[in-house]
Amino acid sequence: MSNFLQLLVNEQVKLYIRKSTWIMYILLGVIVIGLALLASFEAEQTEKYQSDNWRQTLKDENAEIKEQMKEDDIMHDFSTNQIEKNNFYLDNGIQPRSYDAWQFVLEHKFLLSLVSLFTIIVASGIIANEFKWGTIKLLLIRPITRTTILASKYVSVLLFALFTLLFLLIFSWLVGALLFGVNGMDPQMVLNQTGEFTQVSIINQMAEGYGLQLITLVMMATLAFMISAIFRQSSLAIGIAIFLMLSGSPIVSFLSEYSWAKYILFANTNMDQYINGSPLFEGMSLGFSIIVLAVYYVIFIAVTWTFFTKRDVAGH
Amino acid sequence: MSETAMELIDVKKNIGNKNIINGLSFSIHKGEVFGFIGPNGAGKTTTIRMMVGLMKITSGDVRILGQSVKSDFKDAISEVGAIVENPEMYPFMTGWQNLKHYARMMPGVTKERISEIVQLVGLEKPINDKVGKYSLGMRQRLGIAQALLHKPSVLILDEPTNGLDPAGIREIRQYIRKLAEQEHVAVIISSHLLSEIEQMCDRIGLIKNGEMIATQDVGAATKQTTSSEVIIEAEPANDAMEILKNEFNLSVSSSGNTLTIQTQRDAIPSIVQTFVQHDIQLFQISMTSSTLEDKFFELIGENTIE
Repeated sequence: MSNFLQLLVNEQVKLYIRKSTWIMYILLGVIVIGLALLASFEAEQTEKYQSDNWRQTLKDENAEIKEQMKEDDIMHDFSTNQIEKNNFYLDNGIQPRSYDAWQFVLEHKFLLSLVSLFTIIVASGIIANEFKWGTIKLLLIRPITRTTILASKYVSVLLFALFTLLFLLIFSWLVGALLFGVNGMDPQMVLNQTGEFTQVSIINQMAEGYGLQLITLVMMATLAFMISAIFRQSSLAIGIAIFLMLSGSPIVSFLSEYSWAKYILFANTNMDQYINGSPLFEGMSLGFSIIVLAVYYVIFIAVTWTFFTKRDVAGH
Repeated sequence: MSETAMELIDVKKNIGNKNIINGLSFSIHKGEVFGFIGPNGAGKTTTIRMMVGLMKITSGDVRILGQSVKSDFKDAISEVGAIVENPEMYPFMTGWQNLKHYARMMPGVTKERISEIVQLVGLEKPINDKVGKYSLGMRQRLGIAQALLHKPSVLILDEPTNGLDPAGIREIRQYIRKLAEQEHVAVIISSHLLSEIEQMCDRIGLIKNGEMIATQDVGAATKQTTSSEVIIEAEPANDAMEILKNEFNLSVSSSGNTLTIQTQRDAIPSIVQTFVQHDIQLFQISMTSSTLEDKFFELIGENTIE
């Protein structure tokens, strides 16, 4: 076991000693700061509710929107949604909270796709680069089985994803806290869930929003890892994994007339369909998706293992 | 001394339908430096890759101190240090970080041991520079350092003096001899420089088309009786030529004071003696090509050395 830890240390050192890894973090940091500056505009909008006569402010706003709808109703859905939301606040006597760090983090959960992107890049390179550098030869002639080396590399990829996710969460929360402040440690917000407005915990929303995306992240990173073990080349693995990540849903909808489309990986990665929507295909359930994902995962890992441990390391 | 360190037992390698290696069997003793030579595509690299488990052995076995590379990989390989082809290291890490990286993968390599090895290969100064800035010679030294970290019983070096300057080659050669003689490490060297192999190795194996076509003791090679080219610088050249023609019955080609003949090594002393008797001034006498090289070409049949 200490053997394995040493291998993990090696992999992490090799990863974090390189500038290209730090560039990923810097990029992520810069994007978070940029988005925070953009969000400060939105934050100002919530300021007007912070006085004692917030009820009047909400009523005025509703009146204003109605007035506008009479003139020009192109934003019908948005406008009615806003009125309903304001009414919910009024009916339940909840004062709209000011925009804060929690909301900022939740609102920017899509940044996790950047983490996915970086994880795919790392997963694609972690085997292929050893072949590119020629160091694979020195790596495999140690008293350690190839299986252990492979496992240390895979766990390293997951660790990288975890660290990057934590960095994203903590950094964006800190930037948010600095710019917008923090409304307590158990923040609530009003959200339209399946047609009805309710007050929900932001932290729960965050866990759900980020957590569901992690499924795609892990599946795509594992896929990239597999491709890189097969072809021993990182660019191909990055290309295929990113292409599939972006085109996954279009592919599924393109093939949606066939019943077997529900077995496609990307039809099952979006768990949100069971929580806030309806399943893409008839006969799909949460259990079904979990099984499909598990089967894909086992296949990815088995193929990776077979290629990495069984194949000769010949000349380059 | 003659304890076996590494043994190849009828090793075969097929890739597809092609037989790359056709039943190699030989053994290397502790404290022996074994040279491994052969033309391009003979299977040297394939054999070395099978020895260290980078390639699967189709049939047969490689045993290191009795442990099979096939079935006891971990035990067998822990006695091996190797450079396979070029000494490739992580270019973005320093020499020290590279060694530390490999040290973490092997039991019992201390910080002191790393310092010791660094000193041994003479890399104290650049050890904290990035390997990407190293010259080929420096990387070669670092490669040898990583191979020796865990004090292996068998050292496998692919072209170990490639890229080294003459002083470096001499140093490495002396060091390899020392390792073999004092630490009883079995060293396997593949090289394309025959003279190099001759100076460093105790025994040489010639490989061609995946078969070992000859093994040869280096000492024996230089003592053997086949004739080879001898260059003599003597004055007066004409008299010397006459003597060689008449008394030794040799064909002589000359240019200025330099005469070239084909003869056996054993004949040289009597030639010198005769020259002295006839008052011929002798400046130099030497065998141009090594007997090993002759033997090599004889066996290989062409000059396509890697």
